[in-house]
Amino acid sequence: MLKKVFKSKQAVAGLLIILIVVFIAIFAPWLAPNQPEEINPAKKFTGASLEYPLGTDQLGRCIFSRLIYGARYSLGIAVPVLLVLAVISLLIGTIPPYLGGRFDQLFVVVSDIFMSFPPLLVVLSLVGALGQGILNIMIAVVFSMWVWFAKVVRSYVLLERKQGYIMAAKIAGCSDLKIITRHIIPNILPALLVYFSTGIAGMILMISGFSFLGLGITAGVPEWGAMLSSGKAYLYSHPLLLVYPGLFILFTATGFNLFGEALRDIISPEEV
Amino acid sequence: MLGYIRNRLFSLIIVLIGVTMLSFIFSNISSVDPAEALARRSMLSPTPKQIEEIRKEMGLNLPIYQQYLNWLWGALRGELGISLLTRNPVAADLAEKLPATFLIVGLASLWIIIITVPLSILSALKKGSFFDHTLRMITIFGISIPNFWLGFILLVAFAIMLPFFKVVDYGNFKSLILPSFTIAIPMAASSIRLLRATILANMNKDFVIYAKARGISNSRIIWQHILKNSLPPMITVFCQYLGYMIAGSAIVETVFSWPGIGSHLVNAIIGRDLPTINGCVLVIAVLFVFFNLLADLVNSMINPKMLNEKGEF
Repeated sequence: MLKKVFKSKQAVAGLLIILIVVFIAIFAPWLAPNQPEEINPAKKFTGASLEYPLGTDQLGRCIFSRLIYGARYSLGIAVPVLLVLAVISLLIGTIPPYLGGRFDQLFVVVSDIFMSFPPLLVVLSLVGALGQGILNIMIAVVFSMWVWFAKVVRSYVLLERKQGYIMAAKIAGCSDLKIITRHIIPNILPALLVYFSTGIAGMILMISGFSFLGLGITAGVPEWGAMLSSGKAYLYSHPLLLVYPGLFILFTATGFNLFGEALRDIISPEEV
Repeated sequence: MLGYIRNRLFSLIIVLIGVTMLSFIFSNISSVDPAEALARRSMLSPTPKQIEEIRKEMGLNLPIYQQYLNWLWGALRGELGISLLTRNPVAADLAEKLPATFLIVGLASLWIIIITVPLSILSALKKGSFFDHTLRMITIFGISIPNFWLGFILLVAFAIMLPFFKVVDYGNFKSLILPSFTIAIPMAASSIRLLRATILANMNKDFVIYAKARGISNSRIIWQHILKNSLPPMITVFCQYLGYMIAGSAIVETVFSWPGIGSHLVNAIIGRDLPTINGCVLVIAVLFVFFNLLADLVNSMINPKMLNEKGEF
């Protein structure tokens, strides 16, 4: 499996992009030439220079440093949300179909109701109710996405449960818990990895979209979506303020999508 | 067939009850006291007694299930309360904003179909070719691009550097083009991938081999047989996209200063206008449920054979 991943150019390219972004996020204080929130009113909208590699914004802050620190926000929000979603979906996606009966029917009804809201709408209405703030955005995203993640896990579990080896494990006296944790989950994990990888890309887009709308993240924070939002006032005079943060979002999301897609091709080549 | 529609309508009612409950709960977990919010908007420094009076007037002192039933009864009659920001009835505001959103979503759907169908057929036919690989890379970019940024890039390129369009424009066909394109591109990228995969999966089916054996030409097999059998998943997904696009209009409408339901909802959230938030969420959710129903009905009409003996897909 790992060998195949390293053989696929697309997977390597995606992985490389992900590693670059993670590297930037971790080593941001060493990579950034200036403090991202340091205001310098005397140097508004300066062009590229040695001191400011991409120039400065409307408050004289170093654009390059802000972009670098932005990686921390994008990954710092998307990765924890994904981990929570992974745990929730593994619990809710595996146990009800395994137990079956009333419990399972209840899950189907509840998920049907939750799936009749577009995720974006759930986040919008929850942020409207809970108020703004990074934590509220994270809660709202988990609340809107759990059902879609759980449904995907569930569909894999339902497929896997019919396999002969599960019956064999049962006959051999394996407990339900052991079958789920030792047999079903390891077998569906590669397929889930594909979903999680493309899911992170979707989440990065969604979260930057919210901070672009001015929901969740306050204006001064060096987050890519928020930078775009404050840059839109300078659409005519300094369009580059809008171009850079978007490129960073595109770059990051492309990395996760490339990797996820390549992984899908490796796992289920018949769908290529 | 009739049995199927009956079952589907029954489950629709359950889902709708759930949708109204959830949007009611969402609006009630807020830390803001709506009575106080309204009092502060109409009076400078309301006394606790005045707030209590407003609470009574708005029916907020009733038990929660009573409030829900009142709200539901009002919603059924088209009364969604009074907006705190515009002071108009929420329903009237929505009726004014919805057509603008329908216009861009409608045109975006047209773009999606025009872009998706030929490109995915071509790429499925020439699987593994240079064209196929290039299209694949383009669609990966398409699903990775933040659509608000795409909107700004289009604005900078086609309204500022090359002034074909106006930056803020509303009311004519030309003003629809950039916003609808911005909504359509990410959706088209993911539907190209789906349709290509569905066509490829159908190409190895027995009915294709049989059609080939009968001497039917390749292009006719694709247009008449494969495409017809690839449609059902596409219709389901496409109708889901309609709902996503209406919800996603929040972002694109903000970029283009477009006066639709999405930007209305965003303004309501920023202004903490709970009745409007509620109304928008309800309308968008009902539309989403309706589009899903539409997909199932269209599918069951195109391909009645796909229903199983219980009348389900």
